[in-house]
Amino acid sequence: MFGFPHLNLSYGQKLTLLAALPLILAGTAIAVLVALQSRALAEREIATLETQLIEAKKAELRNYVTQARNGFYFIYGSAAPDDGTAKAQVTQILSAMIYGDEGQFFVYDYDGNALVSPRQTDRINKNWTGQTDSDGTPVVDELIRIARDGAGFHSYNWPKPSTGKEAQMITYVTSFPSWRWAVGTGVFIDDVLASVATARADVEKRVRRTFVYIGAITLTALLAVFGTGMIINLRERRLADAKLKKLTQRVFDAQEEERSRVARELHDGISQILVGVRYALDNARRRLERGDSTAADPLGKGIASLGEAISEVRRISRDLRPAVLDDLGLGPALKTLSEAFQSRTGITCHFDTVVFRNRLDNDAKIALYRIAQEALTNIERHSGATKIQIDLRGHRRGATLKISDNGRGMGGRRQATNPGLGLRNMQERMEQLGGSLRLSDVVGGGTAIEATVPLTHMLPPEKATASKQKVTLP
Amino acid sequence: MTDQIKTATRVVIVDDHPMVAEGIQAILENYDDIEVVGTLSNGRELIDQLGHLTPDVILMDLNMPELGGLSATEIVLERRPETRVVILTMHDNAEYISSALSHGAMGYLLKDVPTDEIKMAIDMVMDGQQYLCTGTQGAIAPKRGGAREALTEREQTILLELAQGKSNKEVAQNLDISVRTVETHRKNIKRKLGISSTAGLTRYALEHGVLQGTGSAF
Repeated sequence: MFGFPHLNLSYGQKLTLLAALPLILAGTAIAVLVALQSRALAEREIATLETQLIEAKKAELRNYVTQARNGFYFIYGSAAPDDGTAKAQVTQILSAMIYGDEGQFFVYDYDGNALVSPRQTDRINKNWTGQTDSDGTPVVDELIRIARDGAGFHSYNWPKPSTGKEAQMITYVTSFPSWRWAVGTGVFIDDVLASVATARADVEKRVRRTFVYIGAITLTALLAVFGTGMIINLRERRLADAKLKKLTQRVFDAQEEERSRVARELHDGISQILVGVRYALDNARRRLERGDSTAADPLGKGIASLGEAISEVRRISRDLRPAVLDDLGLGPALKTLSEAFQSRTGITCHFDTVVFRNRLDNDAKIALYRIAQEALTNIERHSGATKIQIDLRGHRRGATLKISDNGRGMGGRRQATNPGLGLRNMQERMEQLGGSLRLSDVVGGGTAIEATVPLTHMLPPEKATASKQKVTLP
Repeated sequence: MTDQIKTATRVVIVDDHPMVAEGIQAILENYDDIEVVGTLSNGRELIDQLGHLTPDVILMDLNMPELGGLSATEIVLERRPETRVVILTMHDNAEYISSALSHGAMGYLLKDVPTDEIKMAIDMVMDGQQYLCTGTQGAIAPKRGGAREALTEREQTILLELAQGKSNKEVAQNLDISVRTVETHRKNIKRKLGISSTAGLTRYALEHGVLQGTGSAF
């Protein structure tokens, strides 16, 4: 699930992921590197050990054979090639020279007949030419070839005399050339191989353990990251919840306040006027019934009062929501706002916009309008400005409303009072639209507020055209 | 009688509030030289019946369903330029008045004026003069120097079509108006924007974010 960048992750989740991914990567990389390195190192040591052990065995073998040969030299050296007695004597002695569990000397004549084989006596006086071991390595032929050449080592699989089980052995063979004998002895190296294998297994176990350690450490770190992330997330959410609650409360408060204001205006203003009209009409009816010719007087008064009621309704309705905003768009609404502001406060208020009308969607229009209202209220209350410039323009990224004044600026004010409910309201409005709100100090004093809505809030030309098309078709 | 009908001013009332329309009609029926030839409830109905009603004066509300007063005024004048449109509304805001005039209305009346003024307005516009009712003349502030005249709804529609590379003929077909009318609008647009070429219009629309502003662009 981490592979899809279009997944809708919250900021917190992204942050956690950002912390977790490198951690996992680092952990894995360290584990793999450690494994490779320690394996290579161990392999080198094991190989050295193996060579050393085998070399030691070989040296031992050579010593045995040389010793035996030298021991028989007094017999062999003085005997003729066909001296049967001497041969029998040597054969006998060699047969007796068994050592250890498996140790024995063997003798083959160059034709391949076994002459000495004290631990496997069934081989004696049989011809073993062409014998191979289980891997297909020639055994007796090769031993005879080495002996003919002088002396040397050979390695092959051979059944252990003690158990009959096959194992690898190394043999040193030399010759009694005049008798055409190959004489040698061998040693099984399965113990060496076994200890090397054990060493390897040991290394493997250690590597695996290291893996587990690194894994555990990484996991702990990950848990810490996720845990911290979760705690932060929870805290954020709690803060957001609190903020939302406060906001909702504020919305409710504002709504109630507005309602009670409208109710009061309806009751104190229009109601009273209408009651007056009712009295006037009643009065006129009575006069008409009496045939009084002055009935037109109260009627005229009533009509005048109705006019008053109409303008009162107009005023209340405009205060609630300017119809210009809906009918003509933000530009004319802002123009009206700035003109009304100027004539009410005496602060010069200049408004500039492009020639386009009504290109913003409802949300953006209202938000920007309310921001302008809020900004003007703030300027009037706090800034001491004498001039205000309002600019509304569309551009390639959306539309921007900029309101700047020549007042005291934000500097001192921001610290003096609470950062401003109104300002937060503006910010929230813009955030909701995916837009931005920027506050800056103007060079030479004054403040500038810039609210930008993205292109998504501008109506597409197709739609505007289509609706016009539809209504103009006969 | 025949004499009266021949010279009577043909008036059409367009208002989506029946009470208001009836009230105005009742008031106008007091005058012999005015004949109310129709009361319609929105701009769309007016455009549909404009041909056979052949009004001299239209009393037009601004806020109406289907087709509002400003757009309807422009379309009426495209088809029957000799028609005089008087806006009759509750809105006393200066922006409405200047918009109404820029869309071609000859008169502007508030619904809560003394009823005599309605007749006065009809007489004035029939006489070829502009009529702004009591309480609105002052609302028309003189145009500020340098401030650009806003495009009318029709002009804006046409600008967007032209900026998308459509020809006069295509625009005319799309909007069901004559090529000459498109050309007139085009001239007015160029004058208002101070731009002389069509490429310039496209660039202008692009730079002000009105061409690419589509909900699906993101």
